[in-house]
Amino acid sequence: MLFGITLLVFLLNAVALGDPARAAMGQRADPAALERLRRDYALDRPLAVQYATWIGRLARGDLGTSFREQRPVTEVIAERLPATVRLALAATLVAVVLGVAAGTLAAVRPGSVLDHALMGAAVLGISTPVFWLGMMLALVFAVTLGWLPVSGYGGGSLAHLVLPALTLGALHTGTVARMTRSSLLEVVRQDYVQTARAKGLPERVVLGKHALRNALIPVVTVIGIGLADLLVGAPLTETVFAWPGLGRLLVAAVGQRDLPVVMGAVLVFALVYVVGNLLVDLAYLLIDPRTRRAAA
Amino acid sequence: MRKAAVLTLAVVLVALAGATAPAQTPRAGGTLRAVFGSDPPTLDPAHATDTTSSAVIRQVFDGLLELDETLTPVPALARSVAVSPDGRVYTFALRPGVRFHTGRELRAADVKYSFERAARGKRPWVFEKISGAREFIKGAAGEIAGLRVVDGLRVELRLDRPFAPFLHLMAYDAAAIVPREEVEARGPGFASHPVGTGAFRFVSWRRDDQVVLERFPGHFRGPAHLERIVFRIIPAEITRFNEYRAGQLDLTDIPTGQCRSVQSDAQLRGEAAVWPTLGTHGLRFNVEKPPFNDARLRRALAHALDPTLIVERLLEGCVHPARGILPPALPGYSPAIRRLPLDRERARRLLAEAGHPGGRGLGPIPFNFNTNDLNQRIAEVLQAQLREIGIALELRRLDWAAHIKVVDDGSAVFFRQGWIADYPDPENFLTVLFHSRNIGAAGNTSRYRNPAVDRLLDEGDAMATGAARFARYHQAEQAIVDDAAWISLYHYSSRALVKRHVKGLERSALSSAPEFLAPLRKVWLDR
Repeated sequence: MLFGITLLVFLLNAVALGDPARAAMGQRADPAALERLRRDYALDRPLAVQYATWIGRLARGDLGTSFREQRPVTEVIAERLPATVRLALAATLVAVVLGVAAGTLAAVRPGSVLDHALMGAAVLGISTPVFWLGMMLALVFAVTLGWLPVSGYGGGSLAHLVLPALTLGALHTGTVARMTRSSLLEVVRQDYVQTARAKGLPERVVLGKHALRNALIPVVTVIGIGLADLLVGAPLTETVFAWPGLGRLLVAAVGQRDLPVVMGAVLVFALVYVVGNLLVDLAYLLIDPRTRRAAA
Repeated sequence: MRKAAVLTLAVVLVALAGATAPAQTPRAGGTLRAVFGSDPPTLDPAHATDTTSSAVIRQVFDGLLELDETLTPVPALARSVAVSPDGRVYTFALRPGVRFHTGRELRAADVKYSFERAARGKRPWVFEKISGAREFIKGAAGEIAGLRVVDGLRVELRLDRPFAPFLHLMAYDAAAIVPREEVEARGPGFASHPVGTGAFRFVSWRRDDQVVLERFPGHFRGPAHLERIVFRIIPAEITRFNEYRAGQLDLTDIPTGQCRSVQSDAQLRGEAAVWPTLGTHGLRFNVEKPPFNDARLRRALAHALDPTLIVERLLEGCVHPARGILPPALPGYSPAIRRLPLDRERARRLLAEAGHPGGRGLGPIPFNFNTNDLNQRIAEVLQAQLREIGIALELRRLDWAAHIKVVDDGSAVFFRQGWIADYPDPENFLTVLFHSRNIGAAGNTSRYRNPAVDRLLDEGDAMATGAARFARYHQAEQAIVDDAAWISLYHYSSRALVKRHVKGLERSALSSAPEFLAPLRKVWLDR
């Protein structure tokens, strides 16, 4: 599947208008220099040869050299990957903690004012554009109140991570909250929950111990699928918070037709998605003992 | 002339703090927190083609010459320059005792090495006037024949023919001097770890995050005032503005659409500065292809367009409406240039003469521009204005790489193009953009071919600077405007916010953006 993705990206780039060498030359391009650059980038070779060379190198763990930065793509990506991973993990954490908490609270008394308020907030979280939300959070918490930094990586400080994580996690929080609520409401109608109640367990234990654990299975699935949303939302969040991550790199590389970086970044995104979903499958084993038995 | 231009600009010019204040003694120390909108692609002078890269390069490296605030070339690494009477031989004497950041002393051989290296980089045109440079650039010669090391501290440059702006080229950042041993030791890594003779030396660069420079105590002019410079990289203009308001940046650009509002804001008013720069936003045709191979049709469009709406409404009067191609802040600008005036009746007559009464038989005309909110809004205004004489525009929006492709190869027939001077000389606008020798990617994307204009430009390029030389350019410029090979809309300005404690910042017309403010060695912080 990963090869299919790289071939697709390569072909899309090949048919896209624009020449990486020309884009690197600025407005005034000298013909001799342009020709030399095309040769340096190996753009004078047939497309099939270009792709085969790329795949051949990939087999040796070499992603080629960035046209724009003239450095190995692995180095270019390795520099940005930690920032993106930090942001994605923090956003997932925000989504899981806030989402499950809100969903559970809402499910305690379905139809109550609290339920309506939380689910209304969840819909807002899902539908608010990332860029706008980021701008508003920065305006309130950074410019007006001065509690948090406006933007930047801050050498990896926690304070710099808060607003981007909230922004990127918002969409996801809403989805997780809604899924937790509906899943929980379904589970509490089941016989074993009624049994737990009948034997006189307090509601806190019924919901928290017996119901929630089973209700979380579909929630975990949503988190896995939500990885895709995180990857899509990353370039915008990284732009509004000047976060030095992979999303911004990919957008800039597409604009510059920096094919080796585009291919490398897409490959990494695809890998993250695949690995993320694998982790979700493993999480089932943890939550649902039945899958453990089936696996054994 | 420059002063007049400044005064007629339709905005209140607020003098930068320090510019008009009584002379104060500069204080040493502190960190200047500046910002870029994008990551510099490279910090290597041979490979840079953009203003962001140049902004760092100008601090880390020096050239033989540099431009002062009035855009005049003045000595930098060269102590003096002697020009032969025929204007073809330039002999530069280097300052003795100049050191690179590594401590090694500068020699004349460094100049030859740096120029030959850069001639095979991305801006070879900076060196192509030197005898034998073309052959070297193409790879047909092992060295530039006209570039000779006379002795340890002198280099001689021989040109094929006199070229008036040659000293400007020697002040350009592509002609910065690099130390050979560092370049060779680092290989491509030199672009991420530059070493020069400049007032600031490189400390670190975290991509898409920040570039950090520090004062080089051994600079030949003595140490700079600032201890450090941090260039943050913040892509969203609203984020830059928020960082500035939160006190985390000392200077930034004024966001689009806020030019008026910051100037009426009680807090920001005294920190906003708007000044004209050397750039022009215009519209071009491919004059080789129908329908715009007919000059009457081009003139019809020119008579139907009114840039005042764009200047007043879209750009809030913070730019200067254009008459001709050369910007008013450029030495050699002529206020006598006449644009084809707004006259819709004449436009309709010209359309009819060209065989398209009321726009009949033309069909929708594609108009190409590169993706950008302002470009989109300008295109919509043009579309509305041309509809009044019966011409329909079909807007074609492409990203930069695709736009430059269709413009270069001649497939776009009507398109936007901005031009910002590399160096302050009419040659850099008119010869580059309209000489038939430069058709295509080299600059003449109109594919304009006018022997009379070519002759005037060739004469002007070779003459000694003065009124007679500028007269050639004025004549060429008027011919191009009358031919409607280019329709000017407005001249660019720099729009900056600068904190009051930042002193000594020069507002050069070459500073096309606040991040391009140079040289920062003169800047100091009063706090």
